[in-house]
Amino acid sequence: MPQFFLNKRLIILLVSIIILVALIGFSLKDREQLSWPEQFIKDTTGWVQTAVSRPIHYVSGFFENVKDLQNTYTENKELKKRLDELARLESEVQMLKKDNAELQEILDKKDSLSAFEPIQATVIGRNPDRWNELLIINRGTKNGIEKNMAVITANGLIGKVTNSQNFTSTIQLLSSMDPKNRISAEVQADGKSYFGLIEGYDKEKGLLLLKRIPSDAKIEKGQNVISSGMGGVFPKNLPIGKVTEVVPAEYGLTQTAYVKPGANFYDIEHVMVVKRSALKPELEDMIDAEEEEL
Amino acid sequence: MRKVILPLLLILLFVGESVFVELLPADIFEGKYILVPRFLLIALLFLTLYGPNRYGLIYSLIFGLLFDVVYTGIIGIYLFMFPIVAYLISKLMKILQTNIFMVSFACLFGAAILEIGVYEMNFLIHKTDMNFSNYLSSRLWPTLILNLGFIILTVYPFKKHFSKLTESLET
Repeated sequence: MPQFFLNKRLIILLVSIIILVALIGFSLKDREQLSWPEQFIKDTTGWVQTAVSRPIHYVSGFFENVKDLQNTYTENKELKKRLDELARLESEVQMLKKDNAELQEILDKKDSLSAFEPIQATVIGRNPDRWNELLIINRGTKNGIEKNMAVITANGLIGKVTNSQNFTSTIQLLSSMDPKNRISAEVQADGKSYFGLIEGYDKEKGLLLLKRIPSDAKIEKGQNVISSGMGGVFPKNLPIGKVTEVVPAEYGLTQTAYVKPGANFYDIEHVMVVKRSALKPELEDMIDAEEEEL
Repeated sequence: MRKVILPLLLILLFVGESVFVELLPADIFEGKYILVPRFLLIALLFLTLYGPNRYGLIYSLIFGLLFDVVYTGIIGIYLFMFPIVAYLISKLMKILQTNIFMVSFACLFGAAILEIGVYEMNFLIHKTDMNFSNYLSSRLWPTLILNLGFIILTVYPFKKHFSKLTESLET
């Protein structure tokens, strides 16, 4: 009799392992949209998460404000110094913007890669186990959020939308390991720009890897990295970070730059989802021979 | 009444884990360690040990599925790990004495099994390339210390609450 029970347990274990593998395979495959039970669960828990996390954020925000008050004096001094510079920069920007608009009119160029519409959202949840760095925000398809849109904070790019339901969406941060997480980026060297791909994140150093930069590119520490808009999904000119180190890649044909992300991947409360205004190219047009091999 | 409170309590812990991670300051320990709250699992283990028969297993299945769908996006890992850990710990406690220290220790052991199991699965499906020794020092030890703190704080109230729940169902 005990032998029989042992067998029953063994069979249950085996069956559940098969189901486990099947389920993992099902959820890892590239899905255009989640199944409706998943969407329903996510939206429902979204309500609960909002109800719980909002009051807590208000309380913690209050304490943070009190802490900020202590540094007000020194900060104020610092900011006043910068203010003079800012006024000059602002007038310069105004002038350049006007110039740009006029020139574009002359060229009869209507849409630009850098144009986008921001959608404001608030973070209501985060994956506690931190293997796959995911955030949940309180805006969804009803607000115009779609899969693969870029997500930024005031300081720079933080990730992209992996899936969106009616009222909530899930964001994958740049710091999570996913080979599909590739962003076409541009290094702004003085007067010139070099293109590369953001591929991967060095967890120990906390730096993004900007790969496939041409070997003759002269990239130095401190140069700005922005999105190039060439990937077809993200708009141009979203700030990503600053170069900290450049090393030759494995075979010496290209270079790899370490990029310190401008945005902090931890204290995120408010984000903007970026809707690109320029036309999105068809997928078939973008796939080249190299990508097809992968 | 207590029957209604139980799911609410677990939902609160479920959401609480994500709020905890959000509010944890980024520069704590210079970002060297990753602390993972396992409050939900610990409550589920207490429920398995002190609560009514089978409640622990059923709730760990439901919340495992919920955790997978809402937080990780990979269905299966927690759906599988939560009930397995609950089952193992309930079997373990049949051998050991059921006093409050042993139960706390068993819950911590359960959290460790879950952590290692989840790490191995993530390693298998290439969600991480962290090696094991790195994993031990930067994730497992800090996580266990955090959860030990949680266990010490909550073991007594949980024991009281779940024991009363069992009594109220029996009468």
